[in-house]
Amino acid sequence: MRSAEMSDGGFSTLGSIAAVRPVFLIVMGVFLLLIAWRLAKTSGIWTARLLVAGALLLGFGYAVIMPLFEAGVIERYAPGGHYHGSAATAVAWHLVRMVVMNTGWLLFGLGLAMHAKILSSPAPRPRAQARSFPPHESIT
Amino acid sequence: MNPLHEIILNHGLLFDALGVIGLGLLGLAAVKLARSHQSWGGNLMAMGAIAVLLARFYLVLSPYFINDDVLHSIGPIGISLTIGLPPLLLSLGLAGIVWGLWGHERWLHDENR
Repeated sequence: MRSAEMSDGGFSTLGSIAAVRPVFLIVMGVFLLLIAWRLAKTSGIWTARLLVAGALLLGFGYAVIMPLFEAGVIERYAPGGHYHGSAATAVAWHLVRMVVMNTGWLLFGLGLAMHAKILSSPAPRPRAQARSFPPHESIT
Repeated sequence: MNPLHEIILNHGLLFDALGVIGLGLLGLAAVKLARSHQSWGGNLMAMGAIAVLLARFYLVLSPYFINDDVLHSIGPIGISLTIGLPPLLLSLGLAGIVWGLWGHERWLHDENR
C-alpha cells in the first residue's frame, strides 16, 4: 500500500529522488571521512583513533552500503518477506549495514565527545593555598 | 540460520540503541563546542544530530503504531509525510553534521594559525 503511494510523486520525491540520493550519500560519506581525518590530526591519540575508526565505518556505510541499498542493488531485508534473490544475502547485508552504521555513529560520537572534552572535567580547581600561619603564640 | 544472525536480528533494537547513543553524544559534543568556542559549526552539527535522531526515532518506533487504521485516518497528505519526511530529515541531518564538522574544522585551523 505504501509503495503504491510512493509512486505518485508529490512531496515524497523531495526527500528521496531516486537518482540523486545515492550520489548525495557518497559525497557526504567521503567528505565526512576527509574532515574527520583532518580533525584527527590535531587531537590526542585516543580521540584520533576513535574519530577515524568511526569515520571509516560511517564512510564505508554511507559511500558504499547505503547507495547500493538506495539503488536497489541490494535487496532490503523484510521480516517474513519474499525475495527475488537469495534470502541469506539480504539478511547478511542487513546485518552488515546495521553493525556498520550504528557502531560507526557510536565511535564517531565518542570521538567527537572526547574532542569536545565533555568527558573530562573543565579545569582543575585551584588548590587551596597552604596558608602559612605563624606558630601559635602563647597567650599570656 | 546461525545463532549469531538470530541474536542480531532479534535484538536489532540493541544496535539501534548504540547508534542513538552515539548520535546523542555527537549532539552533546556539538553543543559543548558551540558554547565554549563560539564556533558556528557546532550549532549546525547539533541541529543535524537532532534531525537524524528524530528520523531514526520515527523509523525505529513506526512499526509499533503505524497500521492501516492510522494510515487511513491521516489521509493522503499524512501518508506522503510519513514516507517523505524521514528520508528528508536523514538527508538534511547528515548534511548538517558534515557541514558543521567542516565549519568547526576550518575554524580550528584558523584558530591555530
